Amino acid sequence: MPDVIVMGGLNTSLLIGMQALEATQGALDATSNNIANANTPGYTREVAQFSENAETVSGSGVSGGGVTLVGLQSVRDELLNLQIQQQTSQQSSADTQSSVLQQIQSYFSTSNGGDIASAFSGFSTSLSQLSANPSSSAAQQGVLSAGQNLANAFKSAANGLTSAQSTANGQVTQTVAQINTLTSQIGQLNSQLSQLTAAGQNGGTIQDQRDELVQQLSTLTGVSVTQNSDGETITTGNGTPLVMGGQSFTLQTTTGSDGMQHVLDSNGTDITASLQGGQLGGAIQVRDQVISGLSTQLNSLASQFVTAFNAAQAQGFDSNGNPGQNFFSVPANASDAASGLSVALTDPSQVAISSDGSAGSNGNITNLSAALTNALPSGQTAAAAYSSIVFQVGNSAANASAQSTAIGLNLQQLTNQQGSVSAVDTNEEATNLLRFQTAYEAAARIISTIQQLNTITLNMGTSGGY
Amino acid sequence: MRVNPNMVPDMLAAIQNSESNLQTALQQVSTGKSVNLPSDNPGAEADMVQNTIETANVDQYTQNVSSVLSTVQTADSTLSAVVTSLTKAVSLGTEGANGTNSAANQQAIATQVQGILSSVVSQANLSYNGSYVFGGTASTAVPYTADPSSASGYTYNGNNDVNSVQIGDQLSVQVNLPGSQVFSNSSANVLGSLSSLVTALQSGSTSAISTATSAVSSALSYVSQQRVVYGNAESQLNAQETYLQQETVNLSSQATSLVGVDMAKAATTLSQAETDNNAALAAAAKVVPNTLLNYLSTPN
Repeated sequence: MPDVIVMGGLNTSLLIGMQALEATQGALDATSNNIANANTPGYTREVAQFSENAETVSGSGVSGGGVTLVGLQSVRDELLNLQIQQQTSQQSSADTQSSVLQQIQSYFSTSNGGDIASAFSGFSTSLSQLSANPSSSAAQQGVLSAGQNLANAFKSAANGLTSAQSTANGQVTQTVAQINTLTSQIGQLNSQLSQLTAAGQNGGTIQDQRDELVQQLSTLTGVSVTQNSDGETITTGNGTPLVMGGQSFTLQTTTGSDGMQHVLDSNGTDITASLQGGQLGGAIQVRDQVISGLSTQLNSLASQFVTAFNAAQAQGFDSNGNPGQNFFSVPANASDAASGLSVALTDPSQVAISSDGSAGSNGNITNLSAALTNALPSGQTAAAAYSSIVFQVGNSAANASAQSTAIGLNLQQLTNQQGSVSAVDTNEEATNLLRFQTAYEAAARIISTIQQLNTITLNMGTSGGY
Repeated sequence: MRVNPNMVPDMLAAIQNSESNLQTALQQVSTGKSVNLPSDNPGAEADMVQNTIETANVDQYTQNVSSVLSTVQTADSTLSAVVTSLTKAVSLGTEGANGTNSAANQQAIATQVQGILSSVVSQANLSYNGSYVFGGTASTAVPYTADPSSASGYTYNGNNDVNSVQIGDQLSVQVNLPGSQVFSNSSANVLGSLSSLVTALQSGSTSAISTATSAVSSALSYVSQQRVVYGNAESQLNAQETYLQQETVNLSSQATSLVGVDMAKAATTLSQAETDNNAALAAAAKVVPNTLLNYLSTPN
């Protein structure tokens, strides 16, 4: 409270008027700033805080002490912010998975024709056709070409999975770099904020900036935020520290034994498996679990089918009377079975259609077809095993996008709540503008009135006076 | 309670939502499919894998049925001609055995039977679509070639194997009879008995002629029996053709119910989506520019 010079009534009134003018000026500043930042992301509306000054007692008289603008207060709800951060992490994880899975879906769709299901049906058809015309070299060529198509379909599906996996893998590296940039900025803001707070100043702007950065960070990875005396402590969901007060900890990436990027904390510990949420968690999950699982199944289908079909070839004789050779070949490495699947036969006459060595026999086609229709060692037929892969692809993609939609609705609700607390309402500001305009005019009127009164008082007793 | 003054995100979400619905409805109407990607309906898309394979198989079985049917019909009509020839040979043999023929007549009959033998041999060497029908599975070698050292005068170059063609998932039909079974069977040898008849007629021995004639006669009834195999195959193929047609209809209606759209419903959804989209846009255009400032007169 400023010292009130007990000098006289008029001066006190003048002083009160001046304080009112200053306070209203501050409120007009706040209104103006709110309107200016109405569309700034992360901006939290500020409200001018007025405080009534203590009354002054002079002799027997008591007069009011006027008003002081205590400061500007940002209106925010920390709990809502935390919830929004968590939901954002989950949504961006689902979005990342959804967009990666979207890439592979077309490889497994039965509607475009180049998929494994069409290739299986083409292969089965060609065998059936050959069974009706065993000595036709066109029908034999048909089987060889259909086998080639099947090998290509497996290759293209496997490559689709691999390229989606490497997209996700690239995201891991990029996201970690972005996380490091953000955590170092948040650390700096924490330092600035604690200095400002120590100096007794309002750090609302810095806090807005920091909240915005934490919000961005939570789209990258799931974080847990705790407030304490020296700012915020931010850790990943499993407790790896990212920011503690003014200090930030960088994450690193390194190529693991599986050829994928692994995330290491500042001590060099591999935390890849424990990261969840955000683009990083989503990319890791889709890369290491969803796609990796699909690849394993596709490879096992490829190698089991090839083994069964080659065994059927070996039971018969080709059109030249020689024992059937391997129709398909797969690389020795089981994880390359689908991508490296190729047709080993070079000539249509090598298809082992004959059961007795004579060129016109179709006796072995039953065995060849059985490789398609009988259960493989996995317990399922090739078609059933493949349709289960298709189901998983569709289901994972549908789940990821349904999850994203569901969280989106929730997030919209939370953002609305946050907006109802913190967002700038231009109508409200327009009303405030009117209010403070009137207040400013009134305070100015007080000053001009007092001035007139002072003049009158000073002219009292002089000639020409009243 | 203070409400969120910023209506733009909600508006945008509503517009985006209605646009995405519009796009889905449009895609369904234009493609005629409700499932365009596995994620649209994972279960249906997985079932479509089986449906695709079965549909292609049924198409191929249908083709197999018609191609096999023509082979079987040709073989059957050929055997029918053989039966006619053999009947003729039996009556010639009977005529030759009645003991009233002159030697010249006997020779003439022998020549006729010889002609029947040649035509039966050529029927046994029937080739259809480039392969020999009565050669077993050795379908590239001429089944019967003349061989003076053989008792019947002909050697069989084929084998004793048969081919079966798949005309259903668990159904295959035998499509050939090896010549060794039809024409040169050890118990009822068509070619051998005809050849013996010729020899007997040439020799003029009545008893030899009757023996040879009764051998031809038993060969005749044997061939008639063998025709049953083709008759069965034909009726099986015809039945299967009907079944496959039905199956094609079933599979295509299954595909429609899995991934197709009900056009009337899809068109209704599309027009609903259009209306929703228009409403969302119109609402946004009306509400967003409205603020208190519009109604405040500028201070002077």
